[in-house]
Amino acid sequence: MAIARAPHAAGEAPRDAAPAAGLNSVHLTLEALEKRYGNLPPSVSALSLQLRQGELLGLLGPSGCGKTTTLRMISGLVPVTAGRILVAGRDVTALPPYRRDMGVVFQAYALFPHMTVAENVAFGLEMRKVSRTEAKERVMRALGMVRLEALADRKPRELSGGQQQRVALARALVIEPSILLLDEPLSNLDAKLRDEMRNEIRDIQQRLGITAVFVTHDQVEAMAICDRIGVMRAGRLEQIATPLEMYERPTTPFVADFVGRMNHLRGTRLEGGGVRVGEAVLATAGTSPAGEALLLMVRPHRIQMTPAATAQPEAAGRNVQPGTVRRVTFVGDALHYEVAMGAETMLVESSTVSGPQSFAVGDAVFLAWSPDDTLTFPAGTEA
Amino acid sequence: MSAALLTRPRADWRGGTVLMALLAPILLVNVLTFLAPVINLAMLSFRGSGPGGSIQEGLTTATWTSLLTDSFYWEILLGTVWTSLLITFLTLLCSYPVALWVSRLGARWRNLMMVVCISPLLVSAVVRTYGWMILLGDQGFVPGVIRAMGMTPPRLLFNETGVIIGLTEILMPYMILSLLAGFGKLDRTLEDAAGTLGARPFTVFRRIVLPLSLPGLLLGCLLTFVLAVSSFITPKLLGGGRVVLLATEIYDQAIVTLNWPLASALSILVLVVFGAALAVYGQLSKLVD
Amino acid sequence: MVTMFDRRALLLGAAATGVLAAPWVRTAHAQEKTITLMAYTGIFEERYKAAVVDPFMRANPGIKVNYYGSPNSAQSLGMLRAQKAAPQTNLCIMDASVAKAGTDEQLYDAVDNARLPVLAELNPMAIIPGLAGPAVTFDSAVLLYSAAKVKPAPTSWRELWKPEYKGQVGLPAAPDIVGLALTMVADRLAGGTDFIKDPSKGIALVGEMAPSVQTWDPKPDVYSAIISGGLTLGVGWNARGQLFSSQNPDRLGVTLPEEGSVFQINTLNLVKGAPNNDAALAFMAYALGQEAQKSFTEAMFYAPTNAKTQVSAEALARTAATPERMAKMIDVNWIEVAKVRDGITEQWRRRVINRR
Repeated sequence: MAIARAPHAAGEAPRDAAPAAGLNSVHLTLEALEKRYGNLPPSVSALSLQLRQGELLGLLGPSGCGKTTTLRMISGLVPVTAGRILVAGRDVTALPPYRRDMGVVFQAYALFPHMTVAENVAFGLEMRKVSRTEAKERVMRALGMVRLEALADRKPRELSGGQQQRVALARALVIEPSILLLDEPLSNLDAKLRDEMRNEIRDIQQRLGITAVFVTHDQVEAMAICDRIGVMRAGRLEQIATPLEMYERPTTPFVADFVGRMNHLRGTRLEGGGVRVGEAVLATAGTSPAGEALLLMVRPHRIQMTPAATAQPEAAGRNVQPGTVRRVTFVGDALHYEVAMGAETMLVESSTVSGPQSFAVGDAVFLAWSPDDTLTFPAGTEA
Repeated sequence: MSAALLTRPRADWRGGTVLMALLAPILLVNVLTFLAPVINLAMLSFRGSGPGGSIQEGLTTATWTSLLTDSFYWEILLGTVWTSLLITFLTLLCSYPVALWVSRLGARWRNLMMVVCISPLLVSAVVRTYGWMILLGDQGFVPGVIRAMGMTPPRLLFNETGVIIGLTEILMPYMILSLLAGFGKLDRTLEDAAGTLGARPFTVFRRIVLPLSLPGLLLGCLLTFVLAVSSFITPKLLGGGRVVLLATEIYDQAIVTLNWPLASALSILVLVVFGAALAVYGQLSKLVD
Repeated sequence: MVTMFDRRALLLGAAATGVLAAPWVRTAHAQEKTITLMAYTGIFEERYKAAVVDPFMRANPGIKVNYYGSPNSAQSLGMLRAQKAAPQTNLCIMDASVAKAGTDEQLYDAVDNARLPVLAELNPMAIIPGLAGPAVTFDSAVLLYSAAKVKPAPTSWRELWKPEYKGQVGLPAAPDIVGLALTMVADRLAGGTDFIKDPSKGIALVGEMAPSVQTWDPKPDVYSAIISGGLTLGVGWNARGQLFSSQNPDRLGVTLPEEGSVFQINTLNLVKGAPNNDAALAFMAYALGQEAQKSFTEAMFYAPTNAKTQVSAEALARTAATPERMAKMIDVNWIEVAKVRDGITEQWRRRVINRR
């Protein structure tokens, strides 16, 4: 398991870490967080991580993995069973939510239905006893940021989902929280709006330089906007890394599967360094003791497919295997092929191009991919 | 497509007919069992009343004139409205925390506690009222507890206090049910949101929970008020003849003094009070929305 | 052939039916006259059926009497009003003041000596001007007391005003006629002379008693409330009081106080236009006759209205019908009282009930 690199020990962080304190100072620290409900297995356990000022962390995982519980522990809505939460070096573990100074955007927006948009946004300022005139100005500024000044006097139910989401964002940001927490904020929006909103969230987060945690179950969303991603599984942090590293070098089969499609192959390490998979011997990037049972993973779009009628592609250190197209699925911007390769079925993905370059069912093909794209894990770790 | 478009209006028309046919029985029942008796009652209030309770032929406004000019009936009217408002308020005060608590339980416990809350309705109001007579009587449990604390218990039975205590308890299930129906709008994440924005628990209650539960609260108050105004058995049993409300006065006029025209006029007056309560409810509901 | 056979069969069949049905028809004819008597439900029904209705039916096998129990006179009147177009009740026993309303609304058929010779035997008080029917029972307001707590047995209405019974007195307030009766008694105690014209002295005196009163509406009734120990003193009616007292001698005592009392009168009324009213008249004659009057007085201690009734000394002692008691009774015209009832009720509410 990869733990975030910690430039400083938590205690050394400056007490009042303002955004000006620089992007590299640690702003949020979670130390061995644990949450248990009764005698059940822990919902979250041994969760430690550190966020730098202005960093956007995506917490990614399937439903029930503990990501939302973690977010609620940070916001104070759920008391922790064990561990500590530090914000800019200050221990906030025991503070109630109303004293934590965190902006939270909820999955269902949680706008107050009996208040107008402006009143919703002003609520946090009112709680902070900000003067009426200042509050008004800040509300309009916040609404301007999400381009909703014109709707200030509407009630939430008169807004579209995307507009409601923007109001929720403005409401969370207007109080200038030390940390912004987003709990699956895009899951109730349609696909197109989702892409738009996630970029908007990222822009605003960058502009304000605010430290943020973004919970989602959608790996594309997480990879698109997060500085780093933490993948959670059954209450534990499986891996925390940048999106690129997460995608290219997942540390477990679970993470590899979660952040994108994967072909699974089972094989055994040979003396010479290759891996025997059925009849074939494949080259991989890493090494491991001979005789070890391995799980090999290859991303579908990293496999190149050429017609068998043409010459066999130059091996040049690559894995090249013959196969037969079994199924072709057109998904718009890509073609998914199921190719029989020996006893295995490989999924191959290629982007669509104009012209008759695609393959048909029954075509004999060669599949070629780089050993660097062949991830290996000890067999049995994928469960 | 065009066929569907063509048949559409006819289908709607047929739907309307079906709706009317379905509504007809209840309309008929309402006309027969509510409208007709009310009209009959209104007519009766314009008949004269002779000594000893005989109903005279011919129409007269004498009953209404005496009703509207006699301060005595105005006192009863105001007293009834005031007592019922007080009972409504106390019922709300006692029911709100219970309903809020029940609404926050897990599904299984919530259903169980809802049954517990409304189970008093399974026992008739008469029996429950007699129960209060035993508890509040001079030798009863409540004065006993007060005496045990070294104080002199006030009179709790056969006066307004007894009626208010008894009716408050008896009407609580209705209030709790209405409140629970209204709490459906309440969403815990709204309270979470308010908390993260810096609202302390009491502020959350005042600014979020209370305003959002207003529809159910108003409905419960309307229901309780109407039931309090029309309740008759409990004031009769616990009032000891000292508590004169519209409902008990209607009983006295109808059954004891046999002045049916006056009893009818008072019944119409109660209907007017209900109408006023509904109007106030409608206005407040609009405000809340 | 076929038709002839058929006709003969038909005739035979008809004859056979006639023969077979004959005894049945005769019985039905004998039982034909059914009349309905509406009167109080509860203990009154139980006693009246046993003492009057059943003996009448034994003596008159041709008449069947249905007893329809009604909780009070007002509801009886309501029932008669509802049946006005097609009366299903022949006779109704109700309080004199309510009977006045029934008479005024022409629900009743007036009876006279020609149709009902027994009227000549009745006490003059039993024939009330303005009422269609004669009195069938006399009752009187009495002081009720807890036999266990009040010793020696009280003899005066003034017992009600004694401070030691604070919070232990109960009686039904005006407009109930018990409340009206007590007001009349109090008016006499306070030196009032004409209750109908000016009841203020009586109301003032009852007002002085008000702080002692626990309830102005004893439940389920004043007799039970004293028997159960909830009340110590009360005001009620002699007949029921005596009956409950005879069943609970150590718990309920009944006194007809020395200052006298007022009568309550139940009248027996013939409903206009009901079927079989000849049979109903026969019942009336029996109910007002000496035999029925004696038997009901001994069963429930109502004073007889038939002046010639010979009641056992034991039962007589429990009624107000002894000459010395009769002499002390306050003369009351319930029909006049009914006219001022609303005013008295209002006075009660302003000057009695709201006193603490």
